[in-house]
Amino acid sequence: MKKFKKIGINKKKLDLIKIILIVVAVIFSIGQLFPLVWLVDFSLNKTGDLFGANILKWPNPPQFQNYKTAWVDGKIFLYLINSVIVNVASVGLTILLSVMMSYAFVRMEWKLNKAVYGFVLLGLMIPIHATLLPNFLSFKAIGIDDSYLALILPYVAFSMPMAIFILAGFMESVPKSIEEAAVIDGCGILRIVFTIIFPIVKPAIVTVLILTFLSTWNEFIMAATYISSDAFRTLPFAVYNFAGQYASNYAVQFAVMTLVALPSLIIYIILNEQITKGVTAGALKG
Amino acid sequence: MQKSNLLHQVQCRSQIFCIRFNAEVKSFCIRFIGKGDFMHALFKDKKTIFLLVFPGLLVFLYAVFLPIVLSGYFGMTEWSGIGKPVFIGLENFKNLIFNDSTFITSLRNSLVLGLALICIQHPLCLGAAIMIDKIGGKLEKVFRAIFFIPCVISVIVTSKMWVQIYDSQYGLLNKILDMFHLGFLKQEWLANPKLVLGSLFVIIMWQGFGWGMLIYYAGIKGISEDVYEAAQIDGAGAAQVFKSITFPLLKPVIKINITLAMISAFKQMEVIYLTTNGGPGNASQFIANYLYIKAFNSYQYGYGNAISILFVIVCIFVTIILNKIIKKDVIEY
Repeated sequence: MKKFKKIGINKKKLDLIKIILIVVAVIFSIGQLFPLVWLVDFSLNKTGDLFGANILKWPNPPQFQNYKTAWVDGKIFLYLINSVIVNVASVGLTILLSVMMSYAFVRMEWKLNKAVYGFVLLGLMIPIHATLLPNFLSFKAIGIDDSYLALILPYVAFSMPMAIFILAGFMESVPKSIEEAAVIDGCGILRIVFTIIFPIVKPAIVTVLILTFLSTWNEFIMAATYISSDAFRTLPFAVYNFAGQYASNYAVQFAVMTLVALPSLIIYIILNEQITKGVTAGALKG
Repeated sequence: MQKSNLLHQVQCRSQIFCIRFNAEVKSFCIRFIGKGDFMHALFKDKKTIFLLVFPGLLVFLYAVFLPIVLSGYFGMTEWSGIGKPVFIGLENFKNLIFNDSTFITSLRNSLVLGLALICIQHPLCLGAAIMIDKIGGKLEKVFRAIFFIPCVISVIVTSKMWVQIYDSQYGLLNKILDMFHLGFLKQEWLANPKLVLGSLFVIIMWQGFGWGMLIYYAGIKGISEDVYEAAQIDGAGAAQVFKSITFPLLKPVIKINITLAMISAFKQMEVIYLTTNGGPGNASQFIANYLYIKAFNSYQYGYGNAISILFVIVCIFVTIILNKIIKKDVIEY
């Protein structure tokens, strides 16, 4: 009897603590979300409303033409397509090249193995910003500046060290016996990599895919430096473009920002669980 | 018709024969040379290794390694981008270290940001991670998702949004202060040299909060429930549980996070570039942004490249030092 009572009190106390925790978490959430709510709210109002005293204003009626202007004049569609092209190519190439290299580092026996592996991992420490200027010059010199390639190449190159680190770590835990059986059946190394290794390391590939996507989709400074014509600009650039053109039309600027934020937000909401796993797996390895 | 059929048959047979022959040869090799040696030969094949490594290595060499080498060369020249670079030796580096107060300011700002992240953001991240773990159930997932949302939004959107929030005329922050009758606290958040760093740090912490939180969260989830249950049975209070269980077991994760924070502080550029561009004056200047200004606004390509080289050295130096500290402690456990 006595024991029961004690647990009962504990439970009540626990409930109270839980409620306090939830309240604090809600305050944190407001801190994280309110600026975004504010942004969306005033993207649906007239620019003049922003100068009122209220911190939020119910849009009545909602000014959807802000979004129309943003979509058309912000060239959102063109930039979105460019973003998709650059990202699919970058993520795809990163995975392909990294799996191949990781396999060579983990399984193949060659003299410079450890040295090259260490050399590639050194890339983790090199800040992209230090390469902006020389890459700008060298891309120009071979005539690939202002093209998709000017973005895909550095995106892949800077994603590879992390990808190889994660993939090689994963491959080391894969038992060698499957490959040995395949070799005895007459399978070549390249076929082993593409038909056996790829499916086995899928969890690690998902992690790499998510980390690479998150960093390249929102990447801005390389896109701003290497790309000079509209035809190749990626989505984040829409905001930059607009700030000058519609400098005093805040509502439309807010609408552009909302539109630019939307695709990755939607993907995050859909793939929430995988992204959380991917980020934590990647971070704990790194 | 028949002829082609026959041809097909022959082809099939020969293919089968080839496969058989291959297998035969292999099994022969395996039998007489030994399985290990045969595998050895296969995994040592130079051509295969080349095919696997070369494409990736080429991309890496071209876009990561070559620029550093180029920077090393151009850093020793004076060049405006037009005409021929003039070789001046280590002059740029000397000027940077001994005569350039902006460079020193940038380094100091990075260090302050790193310390602010470690002392302010990370305790909050850790607290939030413990909090949502304790809440549990469906709400746990909801809060976890909400905290991470700013991390998936492009830095250009969040930076420009915060510029508007800080605006002195219509900005959200000053309006909120008005609402609580704290109008006397209203400021020009990004134009005041004394406040600008703090204002920028808030943006950076706000955006990075979810990322740090998630890593701590994963660490907490890695601690076995049994440990907590045992502590509860022993009658340990919440503070005691944190002090003697959660914190020590999380130490490796905390160290990873602190390293990441310090490195990201030195690599910080986008938020600065998109909000103050280092201003007012150079009060909020950071290395990466400074090199960008020197190169693309003042066309001092030589000097900009010299900053790039020092920047790389600083980043590698910071990483190695932090790794050393961490490795030492991991061995202790």
